[in-house]
Amino acid sequence: MDIKLIITGNGGQGIVFLTRLFAQTAVALGHSVMVSETHGMSQRGGSVISYLKINGDEAPLIQRGTADFMIALDSNEAVRNLGLLRREGIVFVNADNGLLPEVEPHLERLNIKVMNLPASSLAFEIGSSSIANIIMAGFVVAHPALGIPMEKMTATVEKASTRNSELNLKALETGYQAGMKIFSA
Amino acid sequence: MISQTVLGNEAIAIGIIENGCRVVTAYPGTPSSEILAGVIKHKKRLERDVYTEWSINEKVAFEIALAASWTGLRAAVAMKQVGLNVASDPLFSAAYTGVRGGFVIICADDPGPHSSQTEQDSRLMALVAKVPVFDPSTPAEAREMVKDAFTLSELYKIPVILRPTTRLCHAVQSLIIDGDHSSDDGIPSVKFQRDPPRWTATPKFRNLLHIELNKKLIDIADEFSDSSLNYIVEADGAGKVGIIASGVAFHTTQQALHELGVRVPILKIGTPFPLPQKLVNSFCAQFETLIVLEEPDACIEMQIQDRNHVKGRLELHGSVPGAGELTPEVVFSILSKTLSEAGYKVNPSPEDVELATLIKGLPLPVKPPRLCPGCSHRSAFFAMKRTFGSNAIYPGDIGCYTLGTNLRAVDTFVDMGASITMANGFFQANRLVKDERPVVATIGDSTFLHSGVAPLINAVHTGARFVLLILDNHTTAMTGFQPTAANDYLADRTEAPRKVSIPDLVRACGVEYVNIADPYDQEDFIRILKEAQAHAQSPDGGVAVLIAERPCTLYDQSPILEYPIPVVITEECDGCRYCTEAFECPALVLRPDKSRVDVNYSVCVDCGQCIDACHKGFIVPKLLEISPS
Repeated sequence: MDIKLIITGNGGQGIVFLTRLFAQTAVALGHSVMVSETHGMSQRGGSVISYLKINGDEAPLIQRGTADFMIALDSNEAVRNLGLLRREGIVFVNADNGLLPEVEPHLERLNIKVMNLPASSLAFEIGSSSIANIIMAGFVVAHPALGIPMEKMTATVEKASTRNSELNLKALETGYQAGMKIFSA
Repeated sequence: MISQTVLGNEAIAIGIIENGCRVVTAYPGTPSSEILAGVIKHKKRLERDVYTEWSINEKVAFEIALAASWTGLRAAVAMKQVGLNVASDPLFSAAYTGVRGGFVIICADDPGPHSSQTEQDSRLMALVAKVPVFDPSTPAEAREMVKDAFTLSELYKIPVILRPTTRLCHAVQSLIIDGDHSSDDGIPSVKFQRDPPRWTATPKFRNLLHIELNKKLIDIADEFSDSSLNYIVEADGAGKVGIIASGVAFHTTQQALHELGVRVPILKIGTPFPLPQKLVNSFCAQFETLIVLEEPDACIEMQIQDRNHVKGRLELHGSVPGAGELTPEVVFSILSKTLSEAGYKVNPSPEDVELATLIKGLPLPVKPPRLCPGCSHRSAFFAMKRTFGSNAIYPGDIGCYTLGTNLRAVDTFVDMGASITMANGFFQANRLVKDERPVVATIGDSTFLHSGVAPLINAVHTGARFVLLILDNHTTAMTGFQPTAANDYLADRTEAPRKVSIPDLVRACGVEYVNIADPYDQEDFIRILKEAQAHAQSPDGGVAVLIAERPCTLYDQSPILEYPIPVVITEECDGCRYCTEAFECPALVLRPDKSRVDVNYSVCVDCGQCIDACHKGFIVPKLLEISPS
């Protein structure tokens, strides 16, 4: 496994937490990780981006055009950071209707796939708008390309949940089931 | 042994604890803030007897740790780069006097800058103060360098700076925490011993200490030339070009070379000052062109003796930009240009230019940082603007409330505490130029305690007249809720022996008008603001202080109000944007077609403060909504 993953969204959406879930799961699987997080002023609602390398080099940032995957909790942030992805990369986005139509021809040309899930709406339905990030974690894990087993991610979420463990696990399962349905279709 | 994910700052903290450090002090500041929290976590894990504190400012933190070192204990102090400006007085002095127990200053730089007022290079501060500096590249290396820093400090009796940067501080790396490092020899039997020619050196002795310091630096530079902290990679990648790199830029350089598909020898420098001249000279002699990649300024480059073939930050309009972060793209482009000019065959940039150009042209909404929903600073700023309008001068300060600039309620910010001194200065200058606008300054509780008290005394004593709002949210919010001297608990969450009362402190500074108000009560708050301004303007008045008191909504998890006030925006809303611009709550969202504003209930905290933000009365409490039945 050698993965470069971008996680992006807005301050307050739990980007740092989501990044740590993937990093901790990768480490539990015996891999080495290098992550770069956003702290400070941007966390007050501004654009937030994390970079995660599993079994990669030790540079904290990922060069534009080389990331394998992107998880975006906001579709505008997904578009803003699309240039980080390589050809044949995959975007997992929390949105009702995917990305802006303007970028579609380029995504097709570069063979970049967009996997869409209205995670915020699902989060609201199951009880808390603040768990869209964990729903996205389940959604991404359901995709075979990452090679992260659901039971390992479940264990990480359980361990990382200082409170609301039950709700977090429900969110993870919700995202996972939605992903299984979409990706097996 | 299982590896764990560890934040760069925590890795430094682990290094501090596992190397027997006994006193650790700090003042919070991005990107350094998580170091002390990590120290507390790991001293508990390893059951070490370590004194920790969030000091009132960096100078205080520095001197408390220094005294511990002079006693003979290992001590460390942590801060951000601009904090070292505050602590520079003791730094320069301590370089001369030297230390006893190992003394390590951890000073985090912020290339970019991301969360700072300057992009200054603490390695250059080390050069000017004449103390050695270590420049780690990863969390793992930073942890190991703490050990080397303590060893060097004790060997040469000299303070040592460990200088991480933002990308290292906020990197998370998989590390094995437990291991051989965890043995504890207990508290060493040391005591402070008088040594007048050193600890109380007069100018005559200072000269001798300076000579001694110069000698130490020559010996240290020699030692660094043979140190494993400085090494060459890809030595067999012979060619015309060599690279010298340090810090995070070292790994960014390797990443870029990988993408470029070329091998170039890199001299990795872990000790930028004093520069290991022998090693650097012999490396430089092998190449026609040398590229120096370091952040944020030119510490290594400046010390290279023959710079004729050097490409680095000091070249005007050269290949390496003179400011800003060395991101992967910047490093790729520097190397791509320089290497192809030297005849290397390099891969093109992996980024798709067409897509990049398209995205640049898209009208994507820009989301600048904003105060949180329910933040009482917003209410205080809004009341200020309603009271004084645009016809006032608003000196601001450093903290979350610097974001008051979005609301046009912060006109200046310089450094910690400057709101009060700038207000003082504007008052005196305005008197001369006959500008009669009111001066209304804002400062947070932690910043006031850090650097505001002396300026306030100065303003009172010299008869300045302005209104000062101390925005007291009971914590240091921007950096992650560290306690201040006005809190009843300490860094490790134990009870504080005493807490300092901000109102009493303000009165003791000689301020005659002191009032406390909750900015959520807009009407009362505005009445008091007017009263404060009247005091500032009255013949026998002076500085008027209003303490705006309400806990930070992020920090205080209790309900925001005993009786929450959910709001709705009525059908009449015409999208005039007054509320989104003058009040700027993230929960008030203008529709993409700009026809009206909606409440984003997923972030709204039901504080009801925006009711006042619609002067047309279209934002109303939910209970009063008349539903057609």
